[in-house]
Amino acid sequence: MLKLACQEQLLPGDTLQAKWDFAQAAGYDGIELRGKGDQHFRDRLPELRAARADGVVMPTVCVDMLHFFGAFDPAQRRGAVEQMKSQLSVIAELGGLGAQTPASYGMFSRRLPPFEPPRSEAEDREVLLAGLAELGEHARAEGVTLFLEPLNRYEDHMVNRLEQAVDLIGETGLDSVRIGIDSYHMNIEETDPAASILAAAPWIGHAQVSDSNRFQPGAGHLDWPAWLGALESSGYTGWLAAECRLTGDPEDAVRAVPAFLRRAAG
Amino acid sequence: MTTVLEPATRHSGLDHRELRAAAVRVLLANWSGKGTVPSRSLYPHQWSWDSAFIAIGLRHLSPRRAQQELEWLLSAQWADGRVPHIAFNPEVPADAYFPSPDFWRSSRAGRHRGAPAHTETSGIVQPPVHALAAWLVHRADPRESARRGFLPRVAARLESWHRYLATHRDLGGGGLAAVLHPWEPGLDNSPCWDTPLGRVTPAPEDSYHRVDLDHSVAADRPTDLDYARYVRLARDYRDSGYDDGAPHAFQVEDPGFNALLIMSEHALAEILRTVGENPSPALARAERLTAALGERLWDPERRIFAPRELRDDRLLPVAGVSGLLPLAVPGLPRPLADALVSTARGERFRLGQVHMVPSYDLTDSQFDANRYWRGPSWFNTGWLVHRGLRACGHTAAADELREGILHDAWSSGFAEYVNPLTGDGRGIRDFSWTAALVLDLLADPREER
Repeated sequence: MLKLACQEQLLPGDTLQAKWDFAQAAGYDGIELRGKGDQHFRDRLPELRAARADGVVMPTVCVDMLHFFGAFDPAQRRGAVEQMKSQLSVIAELGGLGAQTPASYGMFSRRLPPFEPPRSEAEDREVLLAGLAELGEHARAEGVTLFLEPLNRYEDHMVNRLEQAVDLIGETGLDSVRIGIDSYHMNIEETDPAASILAAAPWIGHAQVSDSNRFQPGAGHLDWPAWLGALESSGYTGWLAAECRLTGDPEDAVRAVPAFLRRAAG
Repeated sequence: MTTVLEPATRHSGLDHRELRAAAVRVLLANWSGKGTVPSRSLYPHQWSWDSAFIAIGLRHLSPRRAQQELEWLLSAQWADGRVPHIAFNPEVPADAYFPSPDFWRSSRAGRHRGAPAHTETSGIVQPPVHALAAWLVHRADPRESARRGFLPRVAARLESWHRYLATHRDLGGGGLAAVLHPWEPGLDNSPCWDTPLGRVTPAPEDSYHRVDLDHSVAADRPTDLDYARYVRLARDYRDSGYDDGAPHAFQVEDPGFNALLIMSEHALAEILRTVGENPSPALARAERLTAALGERLWDPERRIFAPRELRDDRLLPVAGVSGLLPLAVPGLPRPLADALVSTARGERFRLGQVHMVPSYDLTDSQFDANRYWRGPSWFNTGWLVHRGLRACGHTAAADELREGILHDAWSSGFAEYVNPLTGDGRGIRDFSWTAALVLDLLADPREER
């Protein structure tokens, strides 16, 4: 049985409790939180604790910042690592599973001018491994998992495909770092998304879903039965979290996702 | 010695959910981007009837992939209508399989028959399961099918395929399609072909190199002598320019091949009706084929359908599993269906007492429990007999066969075929149609099929 979450900003309602009512009625099983920087996520703890006390299920948090642990700038890198550690601690306190982050987002693309990044591939790797090791150790100590999300080539130049994430995570040797896959990015980067899921299956800890056009699942042309079939047959028991833009009436769009995904999963 | 087990104990403990997941993994691993290879090791290209059976299962995993599977195969169709038995993947090294594209030379030797210039294929055919598969694939998700324009895209190609068989291949003039090579009916080295094949002069052994033995045990595969005759027949056909009217050393009307054609004609009629075209020609062909099947291939002595050798115009005195396949033909006269069920349950096939359905007569001296189509039970023929039993109302026997197929697939690791006496897997593992037909049998049996 699929466990479906919806990111909080997609749900109507002024409070997490109100959003949860809507989400449950639509067929979701949880809410994926968004973790802003400057300790904003930590500062939400009173709100989040109250929501948890009211029964809101919040398995994961997805980073919502403008700098990341793979940043070129050492100060931004340090800041991002500290923010992520804080987010891991908060989601642990909420009884959740982990936090998702890409290596970077919007910092550099080899497909856009000036094409050559200011840092070598070897240096990128060193930075990523150091960040993953520190965050992974922190996650382990908190009893949660860091989910590394490969992004498409236009949004990040370092980790685009699942096999690259597997390579990095394998080198850390930490069970507390897994891949957070995203159907939208995979559609651009993977030769065969379903085969990539099977190949990376032991490393996949979380999944985010949106369609080929970044809209809600069902609004594009992804082969959802094959994608979900691969995930299920690989033994994946984690969450699918809707992280997408919405087309059509926003509430109708959000409401349609659980039924669509469950039908596509067969 | 055959071990007869009680059905209740034989199939206990099979976790259908786990079986389904394993079957899905096989199909996802064997997907090549446009179609499915039967096996990553032994069969690295796209095979005609394999793809049809694969699509029948793939529709439960991804209706879109199932449609693409058939579309990709049909994109290798020749202008004369034939669907070649192999469509070669140009990215696979030429020596990965024999006979290779260099042997068939389709784009040159088949040019006058309309072989495609853009892709290399073999020149022979396999049983026409495709329209049946296309209809079942459409039914799995009519909305996705309509969105992609699946049926309009394949209808004309399927019609052309059936017309090719009805015209170019009615070599006996009796209304049935003939096969020109033992590979065409799909039951490659069946003892059914021993007599007609025995008259074929083998190709010199140093004129080719078998690749199949690099991947499979020699005792499970056709012998070298058989292989040399297969090569000779294919080479002669190629050298005739793939001319169906040329003299052929091997000309047989096979009951399984024609039964599948009849089933596909009925399916094509449904397809044509759905796309707003006239189904009558397909239905008329199905009716003529069904009548001819009974008139030309029924062996009243063995109470089974038998191949007719056209050279001597006589029924071959054999009982192979292809003779049981007409059980699945819509509208087969009831007495014939009942006789077939009785034969299946009798000493020649021992349905319900051995693993699935042996590919050849258990009582015949030529039966070999391990060697390819000379006795082993195969999953596609098991699936077809299951379909026939259901259609004839033998629900309990069908259900028991279904459970046996599922069990044998699981215990053999989705083997290519199994020893019917022991259930031990033979040939290669992770075989695509085995996994696909498991998915189909695991789908809701109440769903209209």
